[in-house]
Amino acid sequence: MTLLSEPKQEKAVGVKRRGRSFKPRYPTWLALPALVYEVIFFLGALGILVAFSFATQTGFSQITYGFSLDQYKAVFDPLYLSIFFRTLMMAAIGTILTVMVGYPVAYWMARYLSTYKLLAVLLIMVPFWTSFLIRTYALKIILDSQGFLAKTFGLDIMYTPIAVGIGLVYNYLPLFVLPVFGSLERMDWTLIEAATDLTARPLRAFWDITFRLTLPGIVTGALLVFIPMTGEYVIPAILSGGKYEFVGNLIGDTFNTAQNPPFGSALAIMLMVALSVFVVIYIAVATKEERFGA
Amino acid sequence: MNSQSPDDLNILAPIEMKPKMDYLHREVQRAAGSAMSRRKALSLGGLALFAAACGSTSTSTTPTGGASSGPASASPSSSLAGKPVENMLEIFNWSEYDDPSTYKLFAELGPVAAAGTKTHETYYSSNDELLAKLNSGGSTYDLIVPSQNAVAQLIQEGKLMALDQTLLPNLKYLEPSFLKSSYDPTGEFSVIKDFGVTMFYFNNKIVTDDLKTMHDFYMALPKYVSKGRTNLLDGAEELVPLGLMALGLDPNTTSQADFDQVRTFLLSIRSGVTTISADYIQDAIAGKIILGQGWNGDVRRIVQGRKAQGDITAVLPTGSSEVWSDNWCIPLTAPHPVAAHTWINWLLTPTTAVTEMEYHSYPIPIPDALSQLPADMKNDQLFNVPTSYTDGYHYILNVSPQVVQQRTKIYTEFKAS
Repeated sequence: MTLLSEPKQEKAVGVKRRGRSFKPRYPTWLALPALVYEVIFFLGALGILVAFSFATQTGFSQITYGFSLDQYKAVFDPLYLSIFFRTLMMAAIGTILTVMVGYPVAYWMARYLSTYKLLAVLLIMVPFWTSFLIRTYALKIILDSQGFLAKTFGLDIMYTPIAVGIGLVYNYLPLFVLPVFGSLERMDWTLIEAATDLTARPLRAFWDITFRLTLPGIVTGALLVFIPMTGEYVIPAILSGGKYEFVGNLIGDTFNTAQNPPFGSALAIMLMVALSVFVVIYIAVATKEERFGA
Repeated sequence: MNSQSPDDLNILAPIEMKPKMDYLHREVQRAAGSAMSRRKALSLGGLALFAAACGSTSTSTTPTGGASSGPASASPSSSLAGKPVENMLEIFNWSEYDDPSTYKLFAELGPVAAAGTKTHETYYSSNDELLAKLNSGGSTYDLIVPSQNAVAQLIQEGKLMALDQTLLPNLKYLEPSFLKSSYDPTGEFSVIKDFGVTMFYFNNKIVTDDLKTMHDFYMALPKYVSKGRTNLLDGAEELVPLGLMALGLDPNTTSQADFDQVRTFLLSIRSGVTTISADYIQDAIAGKIILGQGWNGDVRRIVQGRKAQGDITAVLPTGSSEVWSDNWCIPLTAPHPVAAHTWINWLLTPTTAVTEMEYHSYPIPIPDALSQLPADMKNDQLFNVPTSYTDGYHYILNVSPQVVQQRTKIYTEFKAS
C-alpha cells in the first residue's frame, strides 16, 4: 500500500529529478539460473511424470502415450489406499512427536540462552553435516536387537514401526526446531512480563501469549517436517527391515521392480495431490506470518 | 572378517582404465555387505525403461525406429565363418568380472595377435544400466554380459546376434545341461559365463529342525521368529517365484490360480519374517540372523565368517530353487563380431575358465576346469554346486509386464501386511 502511494508523493512534492521510481529495482536476470533449473529439472520432470501417468505400458521397454485414466483408477485399490493412509498417519504421528520434542528445545534456546545461542543453533545443525543415509544407518546400530538400547534397557524395537517413528523424528527435528526458534526469537518477551505483572500464572501467560504468537512458526515447522516425511523412502526402507511400506517405497518398487512407469507416475502424482492440501495450508500460514510477524 | 576369502581379493585386483567411480561403487557395495546387490537388480528394468522411454517410444510407434534392425532370428551369422578377426573388441561388462591375464593372453592368441586386436572395456553395475544403454540406440558394443532375464528380454526385442557355432568349437567343454536354457531355448544367442543359486542357512544352535527344502524353510519361519531375526531376499522377482517354487509350482507361471495360491501361502508365513533385505551378509556374519535366504556366494562367505563359532548350517535346497546366470552375448549391431566370437571361445577354454573362477569365485559349468580347481573350491558344494541340485532349479524370468505386475502386487501386500 505504501509502495503504491509513493509516486503520488513524488508528484505532490513536484520535484522530478530523475525519470525513475523510488521502488527498489532488482536485476531480474539474477533469477534466471534458478528459473532455468526449475524449468528443466522440476517442470520438465513433472511433465514427463504427467505424460507417463496417462500412458499405457505395452512392453518392458515400451509405453504408448495417450490419455488413459486406468493408472489412476488402479491407485484406488484398497491395498494402495491403505499404504497411502498408513504413510499419512505415520507422518502425522512423526510430526506430532517432532513438535513435542522440538518445541521445548527451541523455547529453551530462545528464552534462556544468550552467549551460547549461536552455538546451540550450530549444534542443532550438526547432524546435517553427515549424510542422511549415514545418520539413518547409525540409528540402526543403536536400535539393533544386539545393540545398546536392547542390551541396556531391553528395548528391542529394531524393524518395527516404532523404529521408523524414531528415525523420522530424529532426522527431521532440526527442520522443525529452526523455524520455531526463529519465531520465538522475534517474540517480544516484555509481553510475558506484562502478563505476569497482571497476575497471570506462567502457564496461562505461555498459552495466551507465547503459544499464540509462535503458532504460525509451529505450523510452518510442522508442515516443513510433515511434507518430506510423507515422501520418505530411506528411513522406512532401512529401519523397518523392508517390511513397512511408505508410498515412496511403493513408487520405487513400481518403477524399478515392476518396470511400470505409468502406474508409478500415477502414484507419485496422487501423492502430490494429497500433499498439495497441506502445501496450501503452509503457504497460507507462512504468508500470514510474513505479514504480521510472530 | 576373513580378508583372505577369494571374494575379497577381487577388490584389490587392479584393472587398467577402470573408472574411479566404478571402483568406489564396488567398495561401497562391499562395505554395505551387499556384494551381490547387482543380483538384486537383475530383473530391474525400471531405470532402463525410464532412461530409454523417450527413445523407445519411437520404437513402439514407428516400427522403423531404433530396434528395427530385425526380428530375433534375422542375423545370418553363419556368414562370419572364414572372416578375419577385426582389429578392435569393445566389451561392456560388470566391473572386475574377468582376470587381467585373460585379456593379456587373449591378445596373444594367433589370429588376434595377427590382427593386432585392441580390447577396450567399459562397465555397468546393473542390468538396467545395460538395457538402458542398448535401448538408447547407437550401441557399438561387441560383447555384453546380461543376466538370464535380460537375455530373454533382449532376445524378445531382437537385439542379439545369433551366435555362429562354427566359431565356438570350445562349446564342447561346456556342461551339456547349460548349453540351452529356459531363457535362451535354442541356445543360439548366449553362452553362459558363470552362475549361482539361491539357498538358505540357519543357526544350528537355535534352529534344530532338519530343513531340506525351500518349503521347510518357509514353514520354519513362524516357528523360530521369536528366537531371533529371520530374513527373506527382497524384490518381487525373488519373493514370489521362490514362494511358487516352494509350493512346487512354476516360478514363471502366468496362472492366476498359482498367484492366488502363492499369495495365500506367503501371507500365512508373513508373521515369521523379521526383515526382507538383500543386505544380509554382514549381519549374518555378526550372528544376528538365525534363519535366512541367500545366494550361494554370499552364504559361502557367511559360513567362512562364522567358522570359529561353527553355528551356521548352509542348505542347498532339494527340489526346486532359483539358479541365475550371467551370459556372453553379442548385440546385433556389433561392429566386430568375429573378435567377439573369438573372445567367447577363448573364455570357454578350460585353462582360462580355471583362472577366471579363481579370480571371480563364481562357478563356470566346464567340468574340465572345475576338476582343476584347488580342493577348497572344487570340493565346496557352496561354490561348485552339484548338477544334481541345479538340474531341479529354475531360472526366474520377467515373463511379461503383466506377470511382473502380479508379482509386485503380491510383494507389496506381503510387505505392507
